[in-house]
Amino acid sequence: MSDLPVSIRRRLRQLARRLSLGLFLDIWPRWAAAGLTAAGIAALVCRVLVPRASPYLAWTWIVPAMAIVPAAILGRMRRFRHEDVLAAADSLAGGTGTLLAVAETSDSRWNDSPMLARAAAFELPRLRPWRRVKPAIAAAAFLAAALAVPQRTARASTALADDIARSLASTVAELKQQQLVTPEEEKRLEEAIERIRRDAGRRVDASSWEAADALREQLASDAAAKQDAVKWAAQSLERYASAANAAGGLPPADGAEAAELSKALEQLAKSGLLAGASRDLQAILKSGKLPSDAAALRELSASLSQYLKETNGRFGELAKLGKEFGRFNPSEFPLAQGDASLDGDGEPGQGDVTRGRGDAGLTFGKETAPFDRFKATPLPPGAARSPDDWAPVVELPGAPQGSPELSASAQARSYADAVGQGAWRRALAPRHQSAVKKYFAK
Amino acid sequence: MMETIERVAAGQAKIARLTGELRRVILGKEQTIDEVVAALLARGHVLLEGLPGLGKTEMIKALSRLLALDFRRIQFTPDLLPTDITGSHILQERDGRKDFVFHQGPVFTNLLLADEINRASPKTQSALLEAMQERRVTTFGETRVLPDPFFVLATQNPIELEGTYPLPEAQLDRFMFKVEVAGVERSVLEEILVTRVRGEPPALDPILSAADLADLFALVDAIHLPRGVANYAARLVAASHPSSADAPEPVRTFVKYGASPRAAIAIGAAARARALAGGKPNVGFDDVRRVAAPAMAHRLVLDYSARLEGWDGRRVVDAIVTSVPEIERGLPQTLEAR
Repeated sequence: MSDLPVSIRRRLRQLARRLSLGLFLDIWPRWAAAGLTAAGIAALVCRVLVPRASPYLAWTWIVPAMAIVPAAILGRMRRFRHEDVLAAADSLAGGTGTLLAVAETSDSRWNDSPMLARAAAFELPRLRPWRRVKPAIAAAAFLAAALAVPQRTARASTALADDIARSLASTVAELKQQQLVTPEEEKRLEEAIERIRRDAGRRVDASSWEAADALREQLASDAAAKQDAVKWAAQSLERYASAANAAGGLPPADGAEAAELSKALEQLAKSGLLAGASRDLQAILKSGKLPSDAAALRELSASLSQYLKETNGRFGELAKLGKEFGRFNPSEFPLAQGDASLDGDGEPGQGDVTRGRGDAGLTFGKETAPFDRFKATPLPPGAARSPDDWAPVVELPGAPQGSPELSASAQARSYADAVGQGAWRRALAPRHQSAVKKYFAK
Repeated sequence: MMETIERVAAGQAKIARLTGELRRVILGKEQTIDEVVAALLARGHVLLEGLPGLGKTEMIKALSRLLALDFRRIQFTPDLLPTDITGSHILQERDGRKDFVFHQGPVFTNLLLADEINRASPKTQSALLEAMQERRVTTFGETRVLPDPFFVLATQNPIELEGTYPLPEAQLDRFMFKVEVAGVERSVLEEILVTRVRGEPPALDPILSAADLADLFALVDAIHLPRGVANYAARLVAASHPSSADAPEPVRTFVKYGASPRAAIAIGAAARARALAGGKPNVGFDDVRRVAAPAMAHRLVLDYSARLEGWDGRRVVDAIVTSVPEIERGLPQTLEAR
């Protein structure tokens, strides 16, 4: 090539660059199209299955730019050699072979020939990038469409599971805030809530709600038991105080009130509700001995009464707790306007034709007392009928009068003597005649 | 090193004179004349195929008159024997002693016109095999070299098939070119009527001596064949095989056997001759394209379906030339030649 005139060498370099560019534009759109298609598929998958990847999906648009790297490497590997460039130049110049021949033989005698000048005056091939870019454009459109797909949120079951767990956790938090649960209880409840959430995350069905309701009911039950303990303690304290007043401020001689109070306080301590009491009160209650002097007894009675009142007040704020548990709330389903006539007396289950509202509780107690209204009447004893207990209803003329001991065939024969002859005179089908003869011949 | 501009120009001038004279005799057959002259300069044999009266024999006779070469004509007939072509030993008495003396046949010439070659039996046709390929004749165990140069210019009629023996593939392969002589246009017919009395061609004088011809042969051999162009010719021949990856659809469908390496050699030699005729010191892609059809078409063995579909060798070669790019890799698809 170095033997060729400078102008031709320059032209060949231009052609080599143009060929490299063409080669790159041949390769790059394919990689870009493949990358964009893959990115589109990935975007679709993320839109449907991986919501967390949503913020990063816009970065998929850099795929065409990334495709430049492999395209450049491949273009470099497949680049046109010097011989290829010469052949291409010769072909573009009309295919006379002069350029190739002069370059191969390095024969400078032909450098000034008009033939070589004509061969070197080739035009660079025109770039037509759109031919190959079309697939990349289609792939880009696919990616755009994939990105335009709305992001699918977390699965409904997960959302519902979180909702259930959140609701339960808030209930527990409220109880904790009111100091109505012990740390052990709180830990156990949290574990139960997590288990419910995990199960519901896998699949939400009736059992998920039932488990949540069961936990709520347990909470309510525990709270009610604690409230009962508080009430019992307050009542036993009241009785103890009354007995003490009657005894002149001293502990009553009869130890029944003291024993009841001790038991009630013990029950209160078991429920963990004494954790919030003052230290003095806790010390007295832990010792299990009530003060013997009247002043100390009054003071204990006053402080315990105050504490129980406060504790009971906390329960009062949680009174609505149980009402929130059931998923079904009748007030959410008001009766249709104008249908009051069909509702009977308006009470659940006491309706008229429509049997009233359907939200009647499954209560037992308003039923008709069955044993009051219906008296048992014994039936006369049964008796098997005798075979002899019969009487003819009607006497048919010609009826057999023979003894019952007679066999059926003999009876039939005697009966035939009286009335059966008529049968023989009847037209009997030939196929029946033999059977009849055989029967009566016995 | 390539030939000098002056030598190439001188050779081109001689060829131009030869073709000019031939065109003066055979009107309206420029392409046929160019192909025959190219084959002649490449020292190849030519099979001319065409209907009767199209000037096949006249062209060869005119060529023989223009070249100062020995010329013989054999009219092939069914009863022609191989010895009628090669010659035979005849018992002769010399000096009182009888001996077999070899009498040369008409093949011992520079320019042999094998007229209606397909009318002779295959045995007689095969007598030309050795002569055409190796330019020698063997009889009775004695091998005799034919004169140099030696050309066989054969003719055959494609329509009168009764009583003919189609040339076998091996025989066809010996011909560098198979030139199909087509009819002429009305204007040419008019010109023939006006200029020819009783159809007699104009008188011709030899314009190329044996030395001139030898010089032209040497010049043709010196024409440079660039490797890129040789690669193109090789790819053309390779693409004529149905098993080739580059074979176009017509080749895969209609061709049973592709062209032989002899076809590639013929293309290279004929392209050199064409390049010299065009005044070029080297072969170009265009030269290869022009000689591809006459050099390859008769070497393809076509399937029976080709005849049913109306495909012949020339059409298949045209399809090959169209499909195979001049440069092996081809231009990138995003580039378009202006």
